[in-house]
Amino acid sequence: MGCSPDPSLTGPGRGAGPCLDAGVTATATTAPAEIEPRPPLLRPRRVLLAGVSAGVARHLGRRTATVRWWFLLLAPLGGAGVLLYLWLWAFTPVAEPADAEEAKGLRRASPVAFQLLLLLPGVLLVGLVLGVLSRFGALAVSALICCAVIAWSLGVDRRDPSWPAWYTSGTRLVAAGVLLLCALFAALGVTNPQGVATVLLASAFALVALGTLFAPRVVKLWSELGSERVARVKEEQRAEMAAHLHDSVLQTLAVIQNRAGASSEVARLARAQERELRDWLFAGPAPVGADLAARLREVAETVELEHPVVVDVVAIGEAVLPEEAGQALVAATREAVVNAARHAGGDISVYVEIAAAQTEVFVRDRGAGFDLAAVPDGRLGVRESIIGRMQRAGGAATVRSSGAGTEIVLRWPETEGRRP
Amino acid sequence: MTDAKLTVVIVDDHSIFRSGLRADLDDSLEVLGEAATVDEAVEAIERLQPDVVLLDVHLPGGKGGGGAEVLRTAQLGRTKALALSVSDSAEDVVGVIRAGARGYITKGSSGPQVSRAVATIAGGDAVFSPRLAGFVLDAFGAPAGEQAETDAELDRLSKREREVMRLIARGFAYKEVATELFISIKTVETHVSAVLRKLQLSSRHELTAWALERKLL
Repeated sequence: MGCSPDPSLTGPGRGAGPCLDAGVTATATTAPAEIEPRPPLLRPRRVLLAGVSAGVARHLGRRTATVRWWFLLLAPLGGAGVLLYLWLWAFTPVAEPADAEEAKGLRRASPVAFQLLLLLPGVLLVGLVLGVLSRFGALAVSALICCAVIAWSLGVDRRDPSWPAWYTSGTRLVAAGVLLLCALFAALGVTNPQGVATVLLASAFALVALGTLFAPRVVKLWSELGSERVARVKEEQRAEMAAHLHDSVLQTLAVIQNRAGASSEVARLARAQERELRDWLFAGPAPVGADLAARLREVAETVELEHPVVVDVVAIGEAVLPEEAGQALVAATREAVVNAARHAGGDISVYVEIAAAQTEVFVRDRGAGFDLAAVPDGRLGVRESIIGRMQRAGGAATVRSSGAGTEIVLRWPETEGRRP
Repeated sequence: MTDAKLTVVIVDDHSIFRSGLRADLDDSLEVLGEAATVDEAVEAIERLQPDVVLLDVHLPGGKGGGGAEVLRTAQLGRTKALALSVSDSAEDVVGVIRAGARGYITKGSSGPQVSRAVATIAGGDAVFSPRLAGFVLDAFGAPAGEQAETDAELDRLSKREREVMRLIARGFAYKEVATELFISIKTVETHVSAVLRKLQLSSRHELTAWALERKLL
C-alpha cells in the first residue's frame, strides 16, 4: 500500500505507519492529496477498562473524556452506547507492545471485579428500599453480579502489580462465598418454595462457586495445552519444510556445483547458498566450543566468496577457549587460508581439533609450496600475521611446505596441557 | 584390477543427478541400471548384481528408511555399497554405514573422484572423506584422548587408527597418509577398514544417538 491520502484506508494498524511522517509535514489545506492521515484505530495497552474510548479518541483526534461521555449518553438509547462499546471492544485490535512489560498483556487501571463486588450491596440496598426488587430478584441479582465478578476475574482481568497480592484470590473467594450463600438461601426456600426451579438454581450457584475455586487451574492447563500444541505444529511444519527443501533445493545446488566445476563462479555461489540454507534449516543448539568452529566456518565462507577456491572445514571436539586465544586462532587461520587461496588455489582443507589440553588448526593446500626462509622480510603474511600472532597469544604455528602442498599448523597453548 | 569393467547401479531419486553422474563417470565403469526408490533399488540390485551400488542416503518409498533400508532389505551378495549424500555431514550417513555401506562421498564430488571411490570400494576397501573421518574421531572420543587398549576393542580407536583418521581429516589422500606415517598404502587401507568395522559394530551411544536424532537429514 502506498501513502494513501484517504483516511478511511488507514484501517486497524495496517500500512499507516510509514505514511505518518510524510503526512505531518504537509498542510491539510493545500491539496486534498496531502491530508494528514488519522492514526490507526487501535486500543492502547495501558487502559482504564478496555481501552476502547482511548483508542477511538486517538483515532478521531478528540479527548478521551469526551468519547467516554458519548458512550454514556448513548447508553440509555436502547443500550446503543453499551452495544457500540462492546462491539468496538471485540473488534478493535490492540496496539503492538512497545516494551517487554507491555507485551505481557493489557494493563488495566481499574480493578473491575472488585468494583463490581462493591456495587453489589448498593444495588441490593437501593432495590429493596425502593421496593423494585422482590426477595427472589435480590437473590438473582446478587448471583448474577457474583457470576460476573468471577467471569471477569477469570477471563479478562490481569492484576496490576501495584494492587495487593490477595486481590485476585480475595475477590474470587468473596464472590464464591456470596454465591454459596445465595445457593443456601434458595435451597432453604426462603424466597420461593416452588421446588424444582429453586433446587436447580441452587445447584447451579453451587456449581459456579465450586468452578471458581478450580477454574484457574483448569484455565492454566488448557492454555499450556494450547501453546504446546502450537509449538508442536510449528515444529512439524518446520521439519516438513526442511525435508522438502532438502530433497529439492539442496539437491539442485549440489548438482549445480557438480556440473559447473568446483572452482567456477557458479559453483561458488551455489555452495555459499547451500551453506546458508543448511545453516538455516538445521541450526540446532550450538554446543560449547562450537563457537570457534562456527567462526572458522565463517572465515572459510568469506574466503570462498573472494577467491575461486573450495574450503572444507572439519571441526571436532569441544572446549572453552579464552577469548584472546580464540581471536588469535581465527585471525591466523584466516591469514593461512587466504594465503593458500592466493598462492595455491583449488581445494583447501581446514581441520580443527578442539580439546581441553590443546586446540589445533591444520590448514592444508595442494599448491606448489614455498620456502619460508626465502620469503623476503618485508612480506608480513606468514611470519607476522600467523607465526607472530600465535606466539603473542601463547600459542605456536609451524609451516610445512613441499612440492605437493603446504600445511600450516596452529596450536594453542604452545605445549599440550599447559595454559600460559 | 582385471580388464573387465566394474559394474555399477546408480540409485537416486533425482533423474537429473542420475544422468549427470552417469555422464561423468569414467570409462572403466559400466552403468547397468538406475533406480529412484527403495523398492526399485532393491529389485535392481538383486536382478543386476552390480559390483558397486551408488546409493543416495535419502530415498522415497519402502518404509521410509532411505538408503539404509535398501541395504538391510536387499540380498547384496557380492555387491558393495558406496553411499552418496547431498551434504558432507557425517550424521547423514552413519545410518547407511551402519547398515553396511563401505564408504561415502558427497554429491559435490567430481566424476573422477566418484570413479576412484568406486574402484576403491570394489577392491574391498573403505572410502572415508575428511568430514567422515572427523565425525569418527569425534564419535569415538578422540579429542578427549580416549584410546583403545587392544585392537579388538570396538568402542575406541587404537593409536594408529586415530593417527590415520586425523590425517584423512586434515585432507591427506591414502598415499600421503602412508608416506607421512612411513607405512604402506595397504596398511592404511587396513586401518581404515578396521575403523569402518568399528563404526558399523560399535555400540557407543553417540553413534546410535546421532543416527536417530538426525533422522530429519
